[in-house]
Amino acid sequence: MSAVAANVAAHVAAHVDHYKEQLRHNRLGLWLFFISEAFLFGGLLAVRFYLWGDHRPELDQTIGLIVTAVLLVSSFTMNLAEKAIAHGDRRTFSLGMMTTAVLGLIFLGGVMVFEWGLFPAIYEGHLSPSENVYGAVVFAMTGMHALHVLSGIVFIFVVWNLGRKGNYTSERHWGVEACAIYWHYVDLVWIFFYPALYLIGTPVH
Amino acid sequence: MSEKRSAAYRLSATVAVILAILTVIEYFAAIYVPNTALLFLLAMLKAYFVLRFFMHVQRLWTSEEGH
Repeated sequence: MSAVAANVAAHVAAHVDHYKEQLRHNRLGLWLFFISEAFLFGGLLAVRFYLWGDHRPELDQTIGLIVTAVLLVSSFTMNLAEKAIAHGDRRTFSLGMMTTAVLGLIFLGGVMVFEWGLFPAIYEGHLSPSENVYGAVVFAMTGMHALHVLSGIVFIFVVWNLGRKGNYTSERHWGVEACAIYWHYVDLVWIFFYPALYLIGTPVH
Repeated sequence: MSEKRSAAYRLSATVAVILAILTVIEYFAAIYVPNTALLFLLAMLKAYFVLRFFMHVQRLWTSEEGH
Protein backbone atom coordinates (compact mmCIF):
# COMPACT_ATOMS: atom_id res chain seq x y z
CA MET A 1 0.00 0.00 0.00
CA SER A 2 2.77 2.40 0.96
CA ALA A 3 4.57 1.57 -2.30
CA VAL A 4 1.44 2.52 -4.26
CA ALA A 5 1.09 5.78 -2.29
CA ALA A 6 4.74 6.62 -2.93
CA ASN A 7 4.27 5.87 -6.60
CA VAL A 8 1.24 8.19 -6.80
CA ALA A 9 3.10 10.92 -4.87
CA ALA A 10 6.06 10.66 -7.26
CA HIS A 11 3.71 10.84 -10.25
CA VAL A 12 1.94 13.93 -8.86
CA ALA A 13 5.28 15.59 -8.06
CA ALA A 14 6.51 14.95 -11.62
CA HIS A 15 3.26 16.38 -12.99
CA VAL A 16 3.59 19.53 -10.84
CA ASP A 17 7.24 19.94 -11.88
CA HIS A 18 6.22 19.61 -15.52
CA TYR A 19 3.54 22.29 -15.05
CA LYS A 20 6.02 24.64 -13.36
CA GLU A 21 8.49 24.12 -16.17
CA GLN A 22 5.76 24.73 -18.76
CA LEU A 23 4.70 27.89 -16.92
CA ARG A 24 8.27 29.23 -17.02
CA HIS A 25 8.42 28.61 -20.77
CA ASN A 26 5.01 30.21 -21.32
CA ARG A 27 6.06 33.35 -19.47
CA LEU A 28 9.33 33.59 -21.37
CA GLY A 29 7.50 33.14 -24.68
CA LEU A 30 5.00 35.87 -23.85
CA TRP A 31 7.75 38.31 -22.86
CA LEU A 32 9.69 37.56 -26.05
CA PHE A 33 6.51 38.43 -27.93
CA PHE A 34 6.31 41.72 -25.99
CA ILE A 35 9.91 42.52 -26.92
CA SER A 36 9.10 42.01 -30.60
CA GLU A 37 6.04 44.26 -30.16
CA ALA A 38 8.23 46.89 -28.49
CA PHE A 39 10.10 47.30 -31.80
CA LEU A 40 6.81 48.10 -33.52
CA PHE A 41 5.65 50.64 -30.93
CA GLY A 42 9.18 52.00 -30.47
CA GLY A 43 9.34 52.54 -34.23
CA LEU A 44 6.09 54.50 -34.13
CA LEU A 45 7.44 56.65 -31.29
CA ALA A 46 10.64 57.27 -33.27
CA VAL A 47 8.53 58.34 -36.26
CA ARG A 48 6.60 60.77 -34.06
CA PHE A 49 9.78 62.43 -32.73
CA TYR A 50 11.49 62.46 -36.14
CA LEU A 51 8.56 63.98 -38.02
CA TRP A 52 7.04 66.25 -35.37
CA GLY A 53 10.15 67.22 -33.45
CA ASP A 54 9.18 69.73 -30.77
CA HIS A 55 5.67 70.25 -32.14
CA ARG A 56 2.38 68.40 -31.89
CA PRO A 57 -1.15 68.81 -33.24
CA GLU A 58 -3.67 70.55 -31.02
CA LEU A 59 -5.57 67.59 -29.60
CA ASP A 60 -8.31 67.86 -26.98
CA GLN A 61 -6.44 67.62 -23.67
CA THR A 62 -9.54 66.68 -21.68
CA ILE A 63 -10.27 63.74 -23.98
CA GLY A 64 -6.65 62.62 -23.75
CA LEU A 65 -6.75 62.68 -19.96
CA ILE A 66 -10.12 60.89 -19.81
CA VAL A 67 -9.13 58.01 -22.14
CA THR A 68 -5.84 57.66 -20.24
CA ALA A 69 -7.73 57.48 -16.94
CA VAL A 70 -10.13 54.89 -18.40
CA LEU A 71 -7.22 52.68 -19.49
CA LEU A 72 -5.54 53.10 -16.11
CA VAL A 73 -8.68 52.05 -14.23
CA SER A 74 -9.04 49.07 -16.60
CA SER A 75 -5.53 47.95 -15.64
CA PHE A 76 -6.59 48.07 -11.99
CA THR A 77 -9.74 45.99 -12.59
CA MET A 78 -7.75 43.48 -14.65
CA ASN A 79 -5.17 43.12 -11.87
CA LEU A 80 -8.04 42.65 -9.43
CA ALA A 81 -9.48 39.87 -11.62
CA GLU A 82 -6.11 38.11 -11.80
CA LYS A 83 -5.63 38.29 -8.04
CA ALA A 84 -9.22 37.16 -7.49
CA ILE A 85 -8.76 33.91 -9.45
CA ALA A 86 -5.45 33.32 -7.66
CA HIS A 87 -7.39 33.46 -4.38
CA GLY A 88 -10.37 31.44 -5.61
CA ASP A 89 -12.71 34.45 -5.65
CA ARG A 90 -14.68 33.68 -8.83
CA ARG A 91 -17.23 36.47 -8.40
CA THR A 92 -14.59 39.23 -8.30
CA PHE A 93 -12.77 37.52 -11.18
CA SER A 94 -15.86 37.68 -13.43
CA LEU A 95 -16.70 41.22 -12.34
CA GLY A 96 -13.11 42.37 -12.88
CA MET A 97 -12.86 40.83 -16.35
CA MET A 98 -16.19 42.26 -17.50
CA THR A 99 -15.43 45.73 -16.12
CA THR A 100 -12.08 45.67 -17.90
CA ALA A 101 -13.73 44.73 -21.21
CA VAL A 102 -16.32 47.50 -20.83
CA LEU A 103 -13.61 50.07 -20.00
CA GLY A 104 -11.63 48.85 -23.01
CA LEU A 105 -14.69 49.42 -25.21
CA ILE A 106 -15.13 52.91 -23.72
CA PHE A 107 -11.48 53.64 -24.52
CA LEU A 108 -11.98 52.42 -28.10
CA GLY A 109 -15.16 54.48 -28.44
CA GLY A 110 -13.33 57.57 -27.14
CA VAL A 111 -10.53 57.11 -29.68
CA MET A 112 -12.92 56.50 -32.59
CA VAL A 113 -15.29 59.36 -31.79
CA PHE A 114 -12.98 62.05 -30.43
CA GLU A 115 -9.56 61.34 -31.91
CA TRP A 116 -10.53 59.96 -35.31
CA GLY A 117 -13.79 61.90 -35.66
CA LEU A 118 -15.57 58.88 -37.18
CA PHE A 119 -18.95 60.19 -36.06
CA PRO A 120 -19.09 63.89 -37.02
CA ALA A 121 -22.64 64.12 -35.69
CA ILE A 122 -21.23 63.62 -32.18
CA TYR A 123 -17.81 65.23 -32.55
CA GLU A 124 -16.20 67.00 -35.49
CA GLY A 125 -12.65 65.67 -35.79
CA HIS A 126 -10.08 68.02 -37.31
CA LEU A 127 -7.43 65.47 -38.33
CA SER A 128 -7.37 63.03 -41.22
CA PRO A 129 -4.74 60.37 -41.92
CA SER A 130 -3.88 61.75 -45.38
CA GLU A 131 -4.08 65.48 -44.67
CA ASN A 132 -0.63 66.11 -43.23
CA VAL A 133 2.14 64.58 -41.15
CA TYR A 134 0.27 65.26 -37.89
CA GLY A 135 -2.83 63.37 -38.92
CA ALA A 136 -0.80 60.51 -40.41
CA VAL A 137 1.21 59.96 -37.23
CA VAL A 138 -1.79 60.34 -34.89
CA PHE A 139 -3.77 57.78 -36.89
CA ALA A 140 -0.81 55.39 -37.20
CA MET A 141 -0.05 55.46 -33.46
CA THR A 142 -3.60 55.39 -32.14
CA GLY A 143 -4.67 52.94 -34.87
CA MET A 144 -2.00 50.38 -34.03
CA HIS A 145 -2.71 50.81 -30.32
CA ALA A 146 -6.48 50.52 -30.82
CA LEU A 147 -5.94 47.27 -32.75
CA HIS A 148 -4.18 45.86 -29.70
CA VAL A 149 -6.94 47.10 -27.39
CA LEU A 150 -9.49 45.36 -29.62
CA SER A 151 -7.57 42.06 -29.61
CA GLY A 152 -7.20 42.43 -25.83
CA ILE A 153 -10.97 42.74 -25.47
CA VAL A 154 -11.48 39.58 -27.54
CA PHE A 155 -8.86 37.84 -25.37
CA ILE A 156 -10.73 38.97 -22.21
CA PHE A 157 -14.04 37.56 -23.47
CA VAL A 158 -12.42 34.21 -24.33
CA VAL A 159 -10.72 33.93 -20.92
CA TRP A 160 -13.82 35.12 -19.06
CA ASN A 161 -15.89 32.45 -20.83
CA LEU A 162 -13.35 29.73 -20.01
CA GLY A 163 -13.30 30.93 -16.39
CA ARG A 164 -17.09 30.83 -16.26
CA LYS A 165 -16.93 27.18 -17.33
CA GLY A 166 -14.52 26.47 -14.49
CA ASN A 167 -11.34 26.00 -16.54
CA TYR A 168 -9.18 27.94 -14.06
CA THR A 169 -8.32 27.23 -10.46
CA SER A 170 -6.39 29.19 -7.87
CA GLU A 171 -3.40 26.90 -8.57
CA ARG A 172 -3.64 26.84 -12.38
CA HIS A 173 -4.72 29.90 -14.32
CA TRP A 174 -2.03 30.69 -16.86
CA GLY A 175 -4.72 31.84 -19.33
CA VAL A 176 -5.85 34.55 -16.93
CA GLU A 177 -2.27 35.60 -16.17
CA ALA A 178 -1.41 35.83 -19.89
CA CYS A 179 -4.54 37.83 -20.64
CA ALA A 180 -3.83 40.21 -17.73
CA ILE A 181 -0.21 40.73 -18.72
CA TYR A 182 -1.25 41.38 -22.34
CA TRP A 183 -3.78 43.97 -21.19
CA HIS A 184 -1.20 45.69 -18.97
CA TYR A 185 1.18 45.74 -21.94
CA VAL A 186 -1.42 47.67 -23.92
CA ASP A 187 -1.61 50.10 -20.98
CA LEU A 188 2.19 50.28 -20.84
CA VAL A 189 2.34 51.32 -24.50
CA TRP A 190 -0.22 54.07 -23.85
CA ILE A 191 1.89 55.35 -20.93
CA PHE A 192 4.45 56.41 -23.57
CA PHE A 193 2.00 57.29 -26.35
CA TYR A 194 -0.06 59.65 -24.17
CA PRO A 195 2.73 62.20 -23.48
CA ALA A 196 4.13 61.76 -27.01
CA LEU A 197 0.77 62.61 -28.62
CA TYR A 198 -0.81 65.01 -26.14
CA LEU A 199 1.82 66.59 -23.90
CA ILE A 200 5.28 66.90 -25.46
CA GLY A 201 5.95 69.80 -27.81
CA THR A 202 4.31 73.07 -28.81
CA PRO A 203 0.80 72.76 -30.24
CA VAL A 204 0.50 73.66 -33.92
CA HIS A 205 -2.75 75.42 -34.82
CA MET B 1 -12.53 37.59 2.96
CA SER B 2 -9.13 36.22 3.86
CA GLU B 3 -6.46 38.60 5.09
CA LYS B 4 -4.11 37.54 2.29
CA ARG B 5 -6.70 38.29 -0.38
CA SER B 6 -7.54 41.68 1.16
CA ALA B 7 -3.84 42.58 1.20
CA ALA B 8 -3.54 41.64 -2.49
CA TYR B 9 -6.54 43.82 -3.42
CA ARG B 10 -5.18 46.69 -1.31
CA LEU B 11 -1.86 46.53 -3.16
CA SER B 12 -3.68 46.75 -6.51
CA ALA B 13 -5.62 49.79 -5.33
CA THR B 14 -2.46 51.47 -3.99
CA VAL B 15 -0.61 51.01 -7.29
CA ALA B 16 -3.63 52.34 -9.21
CA VAL B 17 -3.76 55.45 -6.99
CA ILE B 18 0.00 56.04 -7.46
CA LEU B 19 -0.45 55.75 -11.25
CA ALA B 20 -3.39 58.18 -11.13
CA ILE B 21 -1.35 60.70 -9.12
CA LEU B 22 1.58 60.40 -11.53
CA THR B 23 -0.78 60.94 -14.49
CA VAL B 24 -2.18 64.11 -12.91
CA ILE B 25 1.38 65.33 -12.18
CA GLU B 26 2.28 64.56 -15.81
CA TYR B 27 -0.72 66.53 -17.08
CA PHE B 28 0.08 69.64 -15.03
CA ALA B 29 3.84 69.31 -15.62
CA ALA B 30 3.15 69.52 -19.36
CA ILE B 31 1.29 72.80 -18.79
CA TYR B 32 3.56 74.51 -16.24
CA VAL B 33 6.98 72.87 -16.76
CA PRO B 34 6.93 71.74 -20.40
CA ASN B 35 10.08 69.65 -20.42
CA THR B 36 10.40 66.52 -22.57
CA ALA B 37 12.96 64.87 -20.26
CA LEU B 38 10.71 65.38 -17.22
CA LEU B 39 7.66 63.94 -19.02
CA PHE B 40 9.72 60.99 -20.20
CA LEU B 41 10.96 60.41 -16.66
CA LEU B 42 7.37 60.44 -15.34
CA ALA B 43 6.36 57.95 -18.06
CA MET B 44 9.28 55.71 -17.06
CA LEU B 45 8.19 55.86 -13.42
CA LYS B 46 4.64 54.87 -14.37
CA ALA B 47 6.02 52.08 -16.55
CA TYR B 48 8.04 50.77 -13.60
CA PHE B 49 4.91 50.41 -11.46
CA VAL B 50 3.00 48.66 -14.24
CA LEU B 51 5.88 46.29 -15.04
CA ARG B 52 6.64 45.50 -11.40
CA PHE B 53 3.20 45.22 -9.83
CA PHE B 54 0.77 44.53 -12.69
CA MET B 55 2.90 42.56 -15.16
CA HIS B 56 4.99 40.75 -12.51
CA VAL B 57 8.14 40.95 -14.62
CA GLN B 58 10.16 39.60 -11.66
CA ARG B 59 8.47 36.20 -12.13
CA LEU B 60 10.79 35.69 -15.09
CA TRP B 61 13.86 35.35 -12.88
CA THR B 62 12.55 34.58 -9.39
CA SER B 63 10.97 31.43 -8.03
CA GLU B 64 7.72 33.35 -7.33
CA GLU B 65 4.98 31.25 -8.86
CA GLY B 66 2.03 33.55 -8.83
CA HIS B 67 -0.14 30.48 -8.92
